[in-house]
Parts: sequence; structure tokens; C-alpha cells
Amino acid sequence: MAPRTLQSATVEGDPGVYEDQNVHMIYEEIASHFSSTRYKPWPIIADFLASLTTGWVGLDSGTGNGKYLPLPADRPGEVWTIGLDRSKNLLDIARRAGSTGIVREVVVGNVLDNPWRPGIFDYAISIATIHHLATHERRCSAVKRLLESVSPNQGRVLIYVWAIEQDELSKRKVVEDQDPTPTIGKDVVVPWVLSTQQTAVTEKCATPRVYNRYYHMFAKGELVGLVNEAARELGLQVEPKAESTTKNIRGVEVVQDGWERSNYYVELKLWQT
Amino acid sequence: MVRLITHNLLACHAKDCNTNNFPLAFKDVQLEIREAEFNPEFLRGFLPKLEWTALVDTAKQLGDTSLPVEQPEMLDDEFLKNLHHVLLEIHVEEGSMTCPNCGHVYPILNGIPNMLLAEHEIG
Repeated sequence: MAPRTLQSATVEGDPGVYEDQNVHMIYEEIASHFSSTRYKPWPIIADFLASLTTGWVGLDSGTGNGKYLPLPADRPGEVWTIGLDRSKNLLDIARRAGSTGIVREVVVGNVLDNPWRPGIFDYAISIATIHHLATHERRCSAVKRLLESVSPNQGRVLIYVWAIEQDELSKRKVVEDQDPTPTIGKDVVVPWVLSTQQTAVTEKCATPRVYNRYYHMFAKGELVGLVNEAARELGLQVEPKAESTTKNIRGVEVVQDGWERSNYYVELKLWQT
Repeated sequence: MVRLITHNLLACHAKDCNTNNFPLAFKDVQLEIREAEFNPEFLRGFLPKLEWTALVDTAKQLGDTSLPVEQPEMLDDEFLKNLHHVLLEIHVEEGSMTCPNCGHVYPILNGIPNMLLAEHEIG
């Protein structure tokens, strides 16, 4: 089947209200079906979680169905990831994530808020979440919240967002090929088709329901650019920690960044002198 | 399930509420005790990040007095098992958490705390 070209989106009115209607309300509706399709962890994220030090506590900002909360699977209980999400229905699933019967820690909240003691986490991940925020400023704020949530001394951060450049196996195609190397991302809606079997029994409609979720698909370089902007606004230098250093400098190192199967990712490490 | 592992990290984030906004005070709680696997290495690693006095006081409010007022230097098994129980086995299923500074109330429903603020309360 040829990839389907996605419809572009126009964000109008208050972006918070727009996200409520075009992201949050939809996830509440499709939570259970959505969760049944999201179970396989991406390798780079699994590797990141496997590399964490025993005793560390982290934040999964936009945890969804909590599929990363049980990782690393071979070291249960050695690190604790606390899941935060806007969708209560997804969190009801997330608190039971993993097949072990272990109860996870989850909190209802917005990724633009920081309801935590400052810098208390050792690590933070944000997977497939920031692309749901409707303006550049809000996406930048979300990155700032992540940088503020982890230890300024050694905190580690991993961010994943959808890319304009979808891989060949993807059913999606973001834009017509007018611009082969876009530098700014595209606002689109991505349909979620909920067939009648998956909706509530009381539902009488015979046709499948289609929910159009808002996404900002990131262009190449856009995610790292966003990190640079967020870091600068927090007074952080974006470079590796230097050997000989003046006191009281804070920074963030880009450990790795790249594209993996339709997503851009960036891994960060905070430092201070 | 707000357990004390999470409660010890949460702080009020209402607009202009920046001091004395921790720890949030539990109210009208329903507790459930669920056994969890004991992992002393996790506890040793996590211990330095805990706000000890807040943990001891909050555990006491929930009816657990097993923790010493001062963090001990020797981390023996008995201490670690008590700490494990307090952090990971006491689940607050229902109730609320109140900010000691501004009085904002965060509800806990079906074991999940709701830290969302209304638009005008966001800092």
C-alpha cells in the first residue's frame, strides 16, 4: 500500500485549548486501543534505561501507557521511573505496565509544569510527547522543564519526537515532496481509526470513528536546535564539560543525536563546575 | 498509588508558590499495603536524595513510626527493611495532598495523584 499523505494542521486560538481538543481528549477516548498497539520499546531507549545506575530515580514525562516504566527488565527494582501524563485513562493502564503485577508510580500532570522538587531526578525521558505541543514556545518550555527536573550535576535526559522523514515501512507520509530538505517541522493531523468493536458496547454507530490527533513533525536539526534554545534560556552552556574550568559554570552536553525509525532523538547530560 | 517514594519528590507548583511548598500534607487518606520486592542496593543509592525529616514525619502521619528521627550512619538490614516498607509498600489510594504554603489541594483518585492546575494557577 502506498503511504498516505497526512493532512496539514492549522493551530488556531489558545494553544492550550487546542491541545486539549486535538490531543488530550483524543487519548482519553482511544487509550485502551492505543495501548494495545504500543508495547515494543525502541532499542535506543531500552539501552539508555539499561545504562542507569542502581538507586536512580527518573521521570517519564508523557508516559502514555507506561511501556518504559518496567525497564530495565532484567534489573527490576534497581531504578524507579515515575510516569507523568495528562490522560487518566492511559495512566490507569500505565500503573499496571509490565506483566509482572508490580504496581508503577504514576502522576496526572502537564509536561509544561514541574510539580517536583527542583533537579531531584537523576534522569528524565520524554518519548513521543513534545511533538503534541502546538507552538514552538511550548515545545521549548517542555524541554526546559526536562532540563530543570534533573540533577544539574549529572542528570541525563533522552527525548524522542516524530520526524518528517518517515521510514519506508511507515504507513505515513508527511508532505508532498515539494521541499526535500525542510528546516522547519510541519503541523499535521494523524488519524486514529477506532473500529466499532473497540468502542464501548453502548456505542450504536456502525462506521469506525476517526480521531485526528495533532502532531508537529520535526525537521532535521530542529530537535537539537530546540535543546540549544532551551539550554540558553536557562543559562546553560551547550558543550561537553571542559577539563580546566572556572567555578560555577553549568552546562549540558549533547551525548548523541540522530534519527531512528521515523523519529529524531537526542540524549543529554548536565554538568556543573 | 502515591507511595512515599513519589511523595518525597513532589512539591507544590502553583503560581508564585516557591518557598515552604514541600512536603505536601496528606488528608483523608485510604491506605493499602502491598508487598514489594526488597532491593537494598536501590535504597542505598536513593537515600541521599531523600528529604529525611519530611519522610519520617509523613510516615508518622500515616501511622508508621519505624524510622529513626536522624538518618543512621550504619545501614543495617533492619533499617533498610523499614525504609523499604515506608517508601514502597504503603500506597495512598484515596485522599488529597495540601500545600503547607498556599493551601492548594491536589486530589488522589484511584491511587493516582492529580497535579494539574487550572490555567490561572500556573506560574
